[in-house]
Amino acid sequence: MYAIEAFDLHKSFENVKAVNGVSLRVRKGEIYGLLGPNGAGKTTTIRMLTGLLKPDRGYAIIMGHDVVKEPIKVKKLIGVVPEEANPYPDLSAWDNLILVGRLYGIPNYEIRERASNLLKLLDLYNMKDRKAKNLSKGQRQKLLIAMALIGNPKVLFLDEPTSGLDVLSARKIRELILEMKNEGITVFLTTHNIEEAGELCDRVAIIRNGRIVAEGAPSELKIKAGAYTYVTIMFNKPLENCKLDFIKPYEYKVQSSKLLVICSRPAEVVVKIIEYAKKNGLDILDIKVSPPSFEEVFVRLATGEV
Amino acid sequence: MKDEYVHMFKAVWAICWKDIKLYYAKGPIVVTGIIFPIFLWMAFYAGKGLELKEGLASLITLTLLFTASSVTPIIAPWETRQRTLEMLLSRPVTVRWVLVGDVLASTIFGMVFVTPIIALGAILNITPANPFLTIVAITFTAVGLSSLGVMFSAIPTDTPADVVLLSSLVKLPLMFVSGILVPITQLPSWILPIALLSPITYPADFVRMQYLGSSFLPPYLSLIFTVLFALVFMILALELHEKSIFKRLEKR
Repeated sequence: MYAIEAFDLHKSFENVKAVNGVSLRVRKGEIYGLLGPNGAGKTTTIRMLTGLLKPDRGYAIIMGHDVVKEPIKVKKLIGVVPEEANPYPDLSAWDNLILVGRLYGIPNYEIRERASNLLKLLDLYNMKDRKAKNLSKGQRQKLLIAMALIGNPKVLFLDEPTSGLDVLSARKIRELILEMKNEGITVFLTTHNIEEAGELCDRVAIIRNGRIVAEGAPSELKIKAGAYTYVTIMFNKPLENCKLDFIKPYEYKVQSSKLLVICSRPAEVVVKIIEYAKKNGLDILDIKVSPPSFEEVFVRLATGEV
Repeated sequence: MKDEYVHMFKAVWAICWKDIKLYYAKGPIVVTGIIFPIFLWMAFYAGKGLELKEGLASLITLTLLFTASSVTPIIAPWETRQRTLEMLLSRPVTVRWVLVGDVLASTIFGMVFVTPIIALGAILNITPANPFLTIVAITFTAVGLSSLGVMFSAIPTDTPADVVLLSSLVKLPLMFVSGILVPITQLPSWILPIALLSPITYPADFVRMQYLGSSFLPPYLSLIFTVLFALVFMILALELHEKSIFKRLEKR
């Protein structure tokens, strides 16, 4: 059984299609990332998956329950950190957690125990009596995550969980997400941080204009995007007068004694260049092969280059 | 099934607890709940030499009007603006449970302010003819007025002032046409049809009957209409919010 299944989700706002036929499946226990540029439909998708918006067409199933037909059952199984939602600013961190725990119908003694554990886990216990409005952005985000975890969810939805956070807070949250995965929780996240998605997610989907244009493990997407590798070779003398047409159809640039080749088959190119160097009495001082970054993959897929 | 009801009651109570802590247990709200009805009441009754029991009956309805419907109109737009409503609705609760929690908190708030007035009357040996039915009527009036406030807030806006304006435009005229300050019998005859449409007329008349022994309408009729208005407002509030909630969330 899949933890999350979406079938042909559609949503329009005032005749503008925000989501245009999104279908996806997330396996239990995996971290699944939804990536896309601003306005691509990430938040609308997550809101439909969590029952905050009704799809115009299509449906979503969470742990075997229909999101629209069985909203309470679904919401009992999930924890959500909405992108722009806030804890109650005039309630303390502790009271915010108690409130949410009560909404899950958890007995009071259990809520207090879980709240204490979560606040300790997230380094917030010392400020449990501080009003949420007096917490820093990172602390508020951690509090929202604690509020999402207090119901012991099976599936965790995180909409831009590290957006706007400092490096340390973002790292702490990434560590926490990995801990959740280790505990068997399925994590569905949207993020702008491409490298973060590549680092955290078992699988990612790229959404563009309300449609999923690519899906797979980050490494698979690199192949799918046909992302090019950069090969940089340093020679012992300038290459201005050398005939390098054999490198084509790959793109290349010469900067004095440095040759940069952008190619999809680096090994083949390197062999050809070594042969050329031997024939023409050139010494190779250094060869550097840079694999494509996930950011490059994302840009190519999200902008429709592929 | 039993577990679902237990969960529902716990969630409704949690919302009520949140509202009391966030909105009602605040100095300015409490002071407004005391000052507005008392000063309005004094403005109408000072120097007129009316019987204390008549004043007491008016003060009870006036206090309910100013307390039970004071905060409910602003909760939904305020929480939409603060982005806490989305956080709340992504938990295992329905919009209806949230609203019932809001109504419950507001009803408790109204009752808390009316109780000392009734107690003061009892100390001065001014008691209602039927204390039980009086409490029933007051409770349903508080529920009705709280629901009326919730109903106004169904407009999918995140600007509380929009709803407060609408609420005041309806509430203030109701105060004058419903026989709270001036008995219906003393109002101009052309107001009577309007008075009969007002949901406040019936509890005001019922409470007047309980304290003064005379009323414009038969007391059972007033009680029935008080209960009916409360139920109708509650149902309308829930239905309107159910229809507008996704529009409200879409706006975020």
